[in-house]
Amino acid sequence: MAEVKLTQVNKRYGNIHAVHDVDLTVADEEFVVLVGPSGCGKSTTLRMVAGLEEISGGTIDIGGRVVNDLPPRDRDIAMVFQNYALYQHMTVYDNLAFGLRNRKVPEADIRKEIDRAASILGIQPLMARKPKQLSGGQQQRVALGRCIVRNPAVFLFDEPLSNLDAKLRAQMRIELKELRTRVATTSIYVTHDQVEAMTLGDRIVVMKDGLVQQIGTPLELYRTPANRFVGSFLGSPAMNFVDVTVVQKNGGLVLSDFGADIVLPDAMAAALAGHVGKNVVIGLRPEHILMGEGSSEGTIRLDGSIVLTEQLGAQQLVELRVGERTVMAAGVDPDLRLQGGDAGRFSIALDRVHVFAAGDSGPVLWSAGKGQVTAPLRHVS
Amino acid sequence: MSVATDTGYTPPKRGSFLDALAPGGKRAFFLLSVLGVLLIFAFPVFWLVLTSMRPAWGVYYVHRGLEFTLGNYLEVLEQEVVVHAFFNSFVIATLSTFFSLTVTVTSGYMLSRFTGKLANAWFGTIYIFRTIPYITWVLPLYFVTQWWGIFDTYLGLLLPHIAVHICFFSWLMKGFFDGIDPSMESAALIDGCTRWGAFLRVALPSALPGIAALSILCWLWTWNEFLFALILTSHNTPMITVVMAQFVSELGTEWNLMSATAVMAMVPALIVAIFGQKYVVRGLKV
Repeated sequence: MAEVKLTQVNKRYGNIHAVHDVDLTVADEEFVVLVGPSGCGKSTTLRMVAGLEEISGGTIDIGGRVVNDLPPRDRDIAMVFQNYALYQHMTVYDNLAFGLRNRKVPEADIRKEIDRAASILGIQPLMARKPKQLSGGQQQRVALGRCIVRNPAVFLFDEPLSNLDAKLRAQMRIELKELRTRVATTSIYVTHDQVEAMTLGDRIVVMKDGLVQQIGTPLELYRTPANRFVGSFLGSPAMNFVDVTVVQKNGGLVLSDFGADIVLPDAMAAALAGHVGKNVVIGLRPEHILMGEGSSEGTIRLDGSIVLTEQLGAQQLVELRVGERTVMAAGVDPDLRLQGGDAGRFSIALDRVHVFAAGDSGPVLWSAGKGQVTAPLRHVS
Repeated sequence: MSVATDTGYTPPKRGSFLDALAPGGKRAFFLLSVLGVLLIFAFPVFWLVLTSMRPAWGVYYVHRGLEFTLGNYLEVLEQEVVVHAFFNSFVIATLSTFFSLTVTVTSGYMLSRFTGKLANAWFGTIYIFRTIPYITWVLPLYFVTQWWGIFDTYLGLLLPHIAVHICFFSWLMKGFFDGIDPSMESAALIDGCTRWGAFLRVALPSALPGIAALSILCWLWTWNEFLFALILTSHNTPMITVVMAQFVSELGTEWNLMSATAVMAMVPALIVAIFGQKYVVRGLKV
């Protein structure tokens, strides 16, 4: 049981600055997910916590002890690797016992610990087998077991589910979640899969190019992304982005070029006042684009045509064309008979709209979602 | 997933030469090819064994007459130098295998896992030495062993052999370690091992099939080696490959004796082929 605290942690490989000034505090028994595209520095950050990579700058503190110069074995951590990393020449039992034997735990206690872990994970019948005789899911359970028997202060997970097929991955995700309730331990989990991040994390850390983009609970990040990148990374189907221009018209501000002009309400106009004449980007979640008129105040109504539909059974995805642009709408009633070429009117509640500055990671300018926008943003040129 | 299901169209199978043959023909073709290969490789050995059992006058007419004898073997084994040479070859092959493997395993591991100046320098060194033709090593080594006073001793033969093995086999060893997942060692580090502990207790046992294969290859290489044995030894430490060649004399070549020695020298190789084959195949697959 321990708190993990990263302060201004940096990693440089020669000229490559892989991790920039990461500040992160993982509370005791909290489950934090680091997520981002490959090469964003999330695995490097995790390996620095584990002690498998040296730290170029900053401090890492586990349970109130600075561990910068401690070797991995003295950090009281356990780690699950992407390819399980089971010792191929040992039986499952010896794999589980390895760490405890290294710590000179009496053999009787080792047996007790292994029995406990094996019953949690349901791997008792596998004890005499070698890793090569196990399926992917079984190997993954053994790898988890190797962590559990050690009773470490911190669990580290490096993309543990990415080698499993889709069905097994979903199942193991649920098992991991159940495991958390039985073995509550501070955990840091690295993944590139946004679904894993959303479902497993108490909090999510989104990273890109070695920089933390945003830290928050899954819903905070989903509803109030700090920048365009976070908006695009979380959610499936992905957020729509529409380039528009802020224009002064009739004494107020409008966003032009997305079908008709969108007249901005006062609060939004105030937020965008500094961007008159500039390009900005509207971010729209597909499920917030509704077919039809919409009812409430503050709704944008746009006319467009349907390009194509994708029937998923529970819902339809509809690709719409408005003027020159296309956007994807989700959550459409599957029984609606829609065809490519049909004209359609659809509506977007203005309080669901995000506005970002131009650019791939343009910071959010306006977001009416619930929750605070936490945006410790810096840009690297 | 089948390509054919969507369109109902099955692309015609691309016929290879073997597919065109009838099932029986395929089998016959296979047997004939094996026979052909066997003929090329096994016939000389067969001829060698026949020659070794012929009396001296019969060696040029091995295909004529049926007089066979084991006398050649006895005659050869009565020569002290031959027995001595067998012993020397065995000792040199075993020792050089042992010593070169201890270096090769660690050096292959370093090449596989570490980057940096030291690893690069080592990599460059053995790369350069590997590109030098084997035969050009011999003359300088002759002078060096003379100068150090270890010419015609075990040491004078062992050191060059070990050096060559390190250059040649570090690469193979690197390949074995490349095939072993490094995160296994990371897991060991977290599980309480030091860096050396992770190497010795996790990486090394996983590489054992490869190491076994390499030691077999290494031993056979030294056993069969001729050039170093010829140049770097004299009467004190005769090696079997050299002694075998010394049945050529001014009075002619004693083919029958030479063949008998050669057949006996083949025995270790055969033993290895029969019992060690499993390890060599498994090891080279790692």
